[in-house]
Amino acid sequence: MRDGVNLARIGVPAVALVSTEFWSQGNFIARSVGMPDVPRVAFPHPVAGAGIANMVRVAGLIRDDIIAALSGGSRTS
Amino acid sequence: MSEPIDGRLHAADETAALELLHELGCTDGLPVVVPTPERVERMVVATGLPADVSLGPMGPNLGDATIEKIAACAVMAGCLPDHLPVVLAAMQAAMDPRFDLTEMQATTHCIAPFLIVNGPARHACGPIASGFGALGPGHRANASIGRALRLCMINIGGGRTGSSDMALLGHPGKFTFCMAEDEDSSPFVPLHVSRGFAPEDSVVTLVGTEAPHSVIFVGDADDPTASDRLVRTLAMTLANVGSNNAHFGRGSAVVILNPDHIGVLAAAGYDRMSLAEALAERATNPRALMHELNPSMVRAGRPGDADDRMRVFRSPEELVIIAGGGSGLYSMVLPSWGAGPHVNPSVSARIELDQACEIPGMSPGR
Repeated sequence: MRDGVNLARIGVPAVALVSTEFWSQGNFIARSVGMPDVPRVAFPHPVAGAGIANMVRVAGLIRDDIIAALSGGSRTS
Repeated sequence: MSEPIDGRLHAADETAALELLHELGCTDGLPVVVPTPERVERMVVATGLPADVSLGPMGPNLGDATIEKIAACAVMAGCLPDHLPVVLAAMQAAMDPRFDLTEMQATTHCIAPFLIVNGPARHACGPIASGFGALGPGHRANASIGRALRLCMINIGGGRTGSSDMALLGHPGKFTFCMAEDEDSSPFVPLHVSRGFAPEDSVVTLVGTEAPHSVIFVGDADDPTASDRLVRTLAMTLANVGSNNAHFGRGSAVVILNPDHIGVLAAAGYDRMSLAEALAERATNPRALMHELNPSMVRAGRPGDADDRMRVFRSPEELVIIAGGGSGLYSMVLPSWGAGPHVNPSVSARIELDQACEIPGMSPGR
């Protein structure tokens, strides 16, 4: 989340990818650093070690959300 | 110093009472809820037991563990009446002769009783956390129940730092050390069921352990060796050459597997016993290395020794494996003292939920 905020602050289009287990924490960080509406997209937890096929599946699930967020759409949960 | 819980102390107000309790060595160093007669009486009533019923003598000073004294310590710890059944069961387990509490309270090792709660009491007496940060701050039942046992060990058992409790450093779990098993996301049967209790039973299991050691592991669903790598990682962490277990070749240890790690192992066909067998088999160190590091404690190999590997555990039964923690990269292992007349075993006691009385206004949400 901080990476997304830092990139957004220097004008780089960014969207933070946040796993569902960490969605609340992401919201907290976004508020804490003063950018509560920083673009972010949730994806199913966990992904670490979940295998390439699963990563491809997750990417397919959130691809449109990422594009929407980068296009100025609201964050998704 | 007089026995502080038997006699009634007097103070001008709560602030003075707290300072008196600190001064008498009745606290763990943190502020406590002052155990006024009314608060203690309400807690006693909640147990459904007479105040003078005793669970027995608690070492090392063989203090009489009456319901009233336990209730007083529970009040001091910040317990709700709902927490009491777990505290009482934990006291029974701690005073089981097999637990060697007297020796545990006196040793220079850092050992502390770790409470694991299974069954309906996880909810009825809590909620007692089992997931994210279960061993950290922010969980009232975990914090209060574990602290109540410690305050009983101080005030009834007489385990006072530097005079009877001679731990050279101790560890933070000596303040409070309690969690539930994450039964809901575990593919293994609950710990208490594997120990012969019925699934509907509520049980607390006590294990004297060191502080938790983190174990990082990143699984890989595409790698058929992932489970084997995880077992090796856990075994090698359990076998750390600084532990008593590695030197004595015995004693309990706890393994807390997060949902991802236990999933990797279950997918590979492990259950609790086969995993314990694999860990006990693989947790070894070269005798030559152990002798080189600590020659006064580990003898050198002898001609004819069948194997140069030193086992860390005598049997799989010494390993207590539970599910717990958040989903992610980290599990935990908790080595132990490995000493005492009964060699630091884990002990379980049934939590009696039916004896408790509801005290209006004293339970959460009511």
